[in-house]
Amino acid sequence: MGIPSGYTSAQVVQAVPTGINSALVLISTTTIGSAVASVTVSSAFSSTYDNYKIIVSGGVASTSSFLKLTLGATATGYYYFGIYGSINWGNTPSGDSAANTTSWVGGGASTNSLTGTIELTAPNLAKNTSYSTIYSDNRTGGTHIMYGGYLADTTQYTAFTLTTNTGTITGGTIRVYGYANS
Amino acid sequence: MATYKVQIDNEVRDATPAEAAQIEAQQAEAQARVEAAEAKAVARQAVLEKLGLTEQEAQLLLGS
Repeated sequence: MGIPSGYTSAQVVQAVPTGINSALVLISTTTIGSAVASVTVSSAFSSTYDNYKIIVSGGVASTSSFLKLTLGATATGYYYFGIYGSINWGNTPSGDSAANTTSWVGGGASTNSLTGTIELTAPNLAKNTSYSTIYSDNRTGGTHIMYGGYLADTTQYTAFTLTTNTGTITGGTIRVYGYANS
Repeated sequence: MATYKVQIDNEVRDATPAEAAQIEAQQAEAQARVEAAEAKAVARQAVLEKLGLTEQEAQLLLGS
């Protein structure tokens, strides 16, 4: 291999040593279509990784709302607690919680953009799946939000769905990453 | 029942009646939670006004 212009031979990696793996591996990228109420990523989780990160970015919502997150076809057993605040509220946050409900709060869906940084622990293991998300409702006076919770079953999931609370979403990207197990 | 479009991976199609029903059930539940939270906030504010306390004073007293 030749040496690229501007580099010395000491700066060129000739080979990746055995045993060096990327810690965060991109599994899938899904481009959100036009005016959809939900998006399912069907082959997101597998036995290759125990833990996952899902990032939602870009796109727009038809009205300011939020994105609900569900795993597989499960529509019950979601528990969560969240805290959120707005610059318009000063320093006083509010809380939100739900027990044995139909979905988690997954991300934001404003008319400016879609947002969500979701962490999932063990969705494909025969364990309870836990989750957290941090996102901003990207608009003036919008809220900034953190949620955490778990799903009270031990189903081994491969798919997840993001559904708007109201209205539709268009464009934007859902990226799924796996954390290397070792 | 309203019509919805759903996306499965890269395919966009009309929601089936069962999918549409699930979307509407989730929306109704989420809306109920929002309304309950708003009602709780309004009730809290009414109590504070009755006591003559600001939100900040209430937090100092109650820790929440």
